[in-house]
Amino acid sequence: MLQFRALLGQSLLVTGMLLSLQSCTTSVVVEGTLPTPLVSIIPARMGVYYSDKFRYFKHEEVIRDSGGWSIDLGKQNLNFFQNLTKSLFVGVQEVGQPPLTSEEMQGLDGVFIPKIEKYGFLTPSISGLKFYSASIEYRVAMYDKAGTKIGDWNIVGYGKSEGGMFSSDDAINEATVLAIRDGGARIAIELIDQPAVQAWLQSIGEPSQPSAAPLASAERNKSPETIESAESLKSAESLKSAEGVESIEIPESVDGVPDA
Amino acid sequence: MRNLLIVFFWLALLSGCVSSRIEQSRDAATGIMSNEAIVLLGRASYNEKQTEEGFTECIADILSQGDNPIRLIDQKQFRDDLYPWFEPRTAPTSADELGKLFNQPGVQDRISSVNVRYLAWIDGDTITIDSGGSMSCTISTFGGGCFGMSYWEEDASYEAAIWDLKEMTSTGQISADANGTSYIAGLIIPIPILARPGNAACKGLAKQLREFIVGET
Repeated sequence: MLQFRALLGQSLLVTGMLLSLQSCTTSVVVEGTLPTPLVSIIPARMGVYYSDKFRYFKHEEVIRDSGGWSIDLGKQNLNFFQNLTKSLFVGVQEVGQPPLTSEEMQGLDGVFIPKIEKYGFLTPSISGLKFYSASIEYRVAMYDKAGTKIGDWNIVGYGKSEGGMFSSDDAINEATVLAIRDGGARIAIELIDQPAVQAWLQSIGEPSQPSAAPLASAERNKSPETIESAESLKSAESLKSAEGVESIEIPESVDGVPDA
Repeated sequence: MRNLLIVFFWLALLSGCVSSRIEQSRDAATGIMSNEAIVLLGRASYNEKQTEEGFTECIADILSQGDNPIRLIDQKQFRDDLYPWFEPRTAPTSADELGKLFNQPGVQDRISSVNVRYLAWIDGDTITIDSGGSMSCTISTFGGGCFGMSYWEEDASYEAAIWDLKEMTSTGQISADANGTSYIAGLIIPIPILARPGNAACKGLAKQLREFIVGET
């Protein structure tokens, strides 16, 4: 009888372990370095609005072969953008949700609003490649002192990382950090070159030299086909044709993981 | 002594054969002072290929040791210090772009502050080009074992493009190709006979890179 109880206990334990393995969720709190960009400073004092969605951005998804994923990139992304905007503009001040009153706009030349439109990632089991990859589509909007839109731009950041069999969370963390860096790099280098930004700077009496970046590289290095899907291309087209959207880069592949 | 010989015999037996080839082309004379450093950066592109981080680390380990150690700057630190100019999609792809890059605010100062003389771009990867055979393993209450044989052939192909950041020119390229077949033979216990072409390419490339940078002035 004792033996039977012991066997029953062991069976229940094994069953419990199997069930917990089946339903496990990989949680990743994205962490990484915060490099300070070495770029031409845009000669304007900006209010920056970070929505709660941006501040606490979390991606949750269930993939059939690899279980649930909870990827919390809000804090790293927020810290990164706080660092980025400080280096990008002469002065930066966090503001509340626009529209802002003239009092709130005092001492500011405009408002800068970054948003995360989409986040997606791929695991090697889905892509068939050796890498974990992540993509983030940002939409960055700029408004002048009167609240008129200067422009908004879509920027897609990509990142990929080698992953070991038991370190998928580290690999997703690294791929996401690289995607944030990639998106940030495009903003840091290319925002100042946008005709609408140049015209606005002229209008506020702060003409700025374009970056003269040596970087046709963005054209040379094509976006990762690994994250691309017909669905994402469709959504890219729809974004491209959205009224009033000036695109730094057409978001070619910003979808989440296709249902496996 | 006899045990040691047996161990060496088995190690020799268990290492697969690797054939490798190193080629070099030089565009300009090189030389490095003891206070100057080099940085190795792995090329990343947005397709299925990417230089493995472990490969650049392997070269860095070899270059920073030995009789003629070279001062190396960590690639992650270098990329952070020069953000956003050495990210996969923003990094210069030819030495001709260095002039424009150095005109960016702070870039030249940042590179000078760590005294980086050479930048070596490491590009390539190791891929499995063929595999076959079969092996099955069984385990039961009476014991277990593996029977059969499987093999896979790997090809490691890498290139280092070396830029002189002081002269803002390309000084040359070194390529390393290695090929080897690994086997696992199942004779009750699985016996691996591993070829490591990636390791051979790393050693060959590092040795040639050291000679290239230090050797000719």
